[in-house]
Amino acid sequence: MAASKASRIGEEIWKTRIDKVNAELVTLTYGTIVAQLCKDFEDDYPEVNRQLDKMGYNIGLRLIEDYLAKSNTMKRCSNFRETADMISRVGFKIFLNITPQVTNWTTDNNSFSLVFDENPFADFVELPDDGRAQNELWYSNILCGVLRGALEMVQMQVEAHFISDVLRGNDTTEMRVTLIRYIDDELPPEDD
Amino acid sequence: MSAAIPSVACLGVIGRNNNPLHISIFPSYDPTANAFTPVRNPLQFSLLLSSTIDVFDLRSKNSTASGDFGLLHAIDDRLAAYGFETNTGVRMVCIVDMRGRRVEAGGSAGAGGPSQSSTSTSSSSSAAAAAAARASMSSVGAGLRDAELRPVFRAMQSAYVRLLQNPFYDPDEHAPLGGKGGRRITSKKFGDDMKRIGEGWTPGVTAL
Repeated sequence: MAASKASRIGEEIWKTRIDKVNAELVTLTYGTIVAQLCKDFEDDYPEVNRQLDKMGYNIGLRLIEDYLAKSNTMKRCSNFRETADMISRVGFKIFLNITPQVTNWTTDNNSFSLVFDENPFADFVELPDDGRAQNELWYSNILCGVLRGALEMVQMQVEAHFISDVLRGNDTTEMRVTLIRYIDDELPPEDD
Repeated sequence: MSAAIPSVACLGVIGRNNNPLHISIFPSYDPTANAFTPVRNPLQFSLLLSSTIDVFDLRSKNSTASGDFGLLHAIDDRLAAYGFETNTGVRMVCIVDMRGRRVEAGGSAGAGGPSQSSTSTSSSSSAAAAAAARASMSSVGAGLRDAELRPVFRAMQSAYVRLLQNPFYDPDEHAPLGGKGGRRITSKKFGDDMKRIGEGWTPGVTAL
């Protein structure tokens, strides 16, 4: 499916089939979660990243069903490039109303970057000035988990992590997504 | 021939526990040294801000609906303190130096100030504003209308709102219930906003 068609689908669904909520509600709710995690784990930021990823994973497992129902595409993506376009132009579009750029493909087409020009989660945010958060905390890490969980449900095992974030002072916010393998329909373990 | 126009000398934010949340000091133009220096030292500014608390308390009994307190007190022939209070008890004070900037009478802003040299985008607009400021100053003589400070307080309030939206800023830490103490604001973004406001304002500026 061409990228432009994916854009059209995303736009169409966003306009007609999505219930909207106030953006600040989302931003503040997510912010509270991250801030509370930081407090609960006593500023152990790697652990906070892990927890966010785990929460996202559990969201992704459920969200994919909603995505498939709304996007109404029964057709499977024919390759990983198409998957990437659908993630950006349909998935992110209908849930967050953003379309991150899909770039930096590796030559084997198994790994790409999502570059976020805007990130509704990170509005207003300033990372704690304790000398560590800037280097350790991936504020929007929940998104990695969402992608991992959602793609796992459609037989794709991926690995996703952020490699830069404007909150840390980088020029862009960039997430790296790598396909590890297509999960074959596994047979139940045999009894010997 | 040059004329002096008002500028911001100090911006202060006071928490609901009468605790200092933020103080920014801006240098004024000193014609004898042809340089920019603050007209008071930080401790003196801190004391001036403290002294405004009493005025806030007195006036809050018959407070205005908008929260704008206007002129709190004129400290001397140069400095005057203006105030604004939000419904949550956060007070914002702007100490104005009536002769803080110098503009050439010809219309071009000569020794305009740090704002004009640092931000090229605002230089033309601030020069125009300076001209308007001189016009208004000459007509009403010395003194500023309260409305001139409204853009400052509006900008300070929206900066404060943006600060509160940051999930890592804990308002309770900065003005705990119980009425005692509180930590200062350490946010760099908020500090930068205050700097922009203090340097960008001259009479006649409508948006910061």
